[in-house]
Amino acid sequence: MNRKLKNNLFTYATWIAVITCAAILLFLFGVILWNGLPAINFNFLTEAASDFGASGGIIHQITGSVLLVIFSALICLPIAIGTAIYKSEYVKSKKLHTLINTLIYSLNGIPSLIFGIFGLILFVNILGMGVSWIVGSIILAMMILPTVTLSTYHSINSIPTVYRESSMALGLTKWQTISKVLLPQGFSGAITGLLIGVARAIGETAPIMFIATAFSGVAFPSSLLEPVSTLPTHILALAQQATNPAALQNAWGTSLVLVSLVVLFSITALCIRLKHQAISKR
Amino acid sequence: MLGLTNKIGKIYVYTSTLISAAVVFLIFTILLLNSWSAISNVGLDLINLSWNPSKGEFGIISMLFGTFVVTFIALVISIPLGVFTAIFTSEILASKYRFFVKSILELLAGIPSIIYGLIGIAFLSIWFQDLFDLQSGRTLLTAGILLSVMILPTIITLTDDAFHNIPNKYRETAKGLGLYNSEIIKEVLVPIAKADVKSAILLAFGRALGETMAVMLVIGSIDKLPNPIYNWLSPGQTITSKLGREIAETSFGSIHFSAMIFMGLLLFSVVLLLTIIAQNSSKKTERLYE
Repeated sequence: MNRKLKNNLFTYATWIAVITCAAILLFLFGVILWNGLPAINFNFLTEAASDFGASGGIIHQITGSVLLVIFSALICLPIAIGTAIYKSEYVKSKKLHTLINTLIYSLNGIPSLIFGIFGLILFVNILGMGVSWIVGSIILAMMILPTVTLSTYHSINSIPTVYRESSMALGLTKWQTISKVLLPQGFSGAITGLLIGVARAIGETAPIMFIATAFSGVAFPSSLLEPVSTLPTHILALAQQATNPAALQNAWGTSLVLVSLVVLFSITALCIRLKHQAISKR
Repeated sequence: MLGLTNKIGKIYVYTSTLISAAVVFLIFTILLLNSWSAISNVGLDLINLSWNPSKGEFGIISMLFGTFVVTFIALVISIPLGVFTAIFTSEILASKYRFFVKSILELLAGIPSIIYGLIGIAFLSIWFQDLFDLQSGRTLLTAGILLSVMILPTIITLTDDAFHNIPNKYRETAKGLGLYNSEIIKEVLVPIAKADVKSAILLAFGRALGETMAVMLVIGSIDKLPNPIYNWLSPGQTITSKLGREIAETSFGSIHFSAMIFMGLLLFSVVLLLTIIAQNSSKKTERLYE
């Protein structure tokens, strides 16, 4: 086989792969939009679910999901910032740095279901907190911790050393340097990471399905130790009664709302990142 | 006063690092402690074919087999598809579209797995049912194919980075020698990017092993080996689908519960190992890019 023919075959192979991927992509977004849009109207977004989700809306699922991820972000943020500062400013030995990196990447790699089982054993059973939304928030906070930590670390670490030296030369203590000079500049990284993390957390089903959620008869929780209903677990429950067309219709509607929320968080994160990059280039 | 805030700041930073570092160990310890009663009571019988809690039989082979088959199918489809697509986006596509492609991939990776599950139930499994004339379209193959789509963005975006990080001088030199595009990619770029591509595949492998929702909805959830063993158009069970379906209904502290946690511990250990190998194998290439 001559070289030119080989080159052409290779090019065709890449084109076939790309067209397949593009077709999959179009199919996925097409299906979500095509099936989701007819299900969505004002009532669907503002009413409570009834008839096991087959009729009514998803207002409690939306508030439940948002509540879970907001609190997971609040729990995660201080710990992530602290770890990022340690990684960037305090740690001196290279070995320790590698160890912390390995632990963070490991945490990021743990399957989401394992987090759910961990929460079920430790919080629900051993600590006796029962099925409650705050447990879900704690578990989701653990899941997004690596994302937020690494994003914060990168933005703090990329601040030029001259800032640290100047502030030290002015007589500021190490903590003053961190809190007055580095953190204000590194904060955008934390927020970007947090948004990416939240975009991931809001779509997770496996970690929260046995520790934080209940399917029917759940309104907005009045205490920390009550279950909520969330968008992903609502889709799960509806998908299991897929023979009922009304339930399936609502499942698609819920999916579209969920995907929109994910996209919203991701795009906001992207915008903040782009804006910050534009400034740092100048 | 200043010294005090400095100290408090330091304590805060150290405490939060300790918390972050402790989580992985805490999860491992909790899983190990809770699977201990299965390990000590059932022991080697865990490696057995039949799973029947009421008879005290906890054989996890069929779950291991299902996990292996589903992951294998997913990787066989998504590795060639993903690597070729990544070569396209990095080497053939004009770089001004790269940002657009990257954003789309990120969106694709952000689609929650439960929605893949819904698509699997509503379309894929029904297509399979009609296509192969099955009683139910929920099979090992369905789950594998669905999973291959889910790990595709991971493979594409990491492989694309691996190729894109190679300095242009390699391409220019090879082009100056009169090599065709395909030859440049095969002879020059692939050897350099190899380690990073390998780590991308390992990460995707880990993700595929741990994926729960989509697999759970389309795999059929039957704790048996397919008959004959290569008939992947029959329902099966993976570790994740088993845990996802049963753990909430199992009473805490029983041997049944403990055997389930043992599977979780296996999954956790394998995925952790893959992540660490992937992390280390991608570092070795740093030397090349001076």
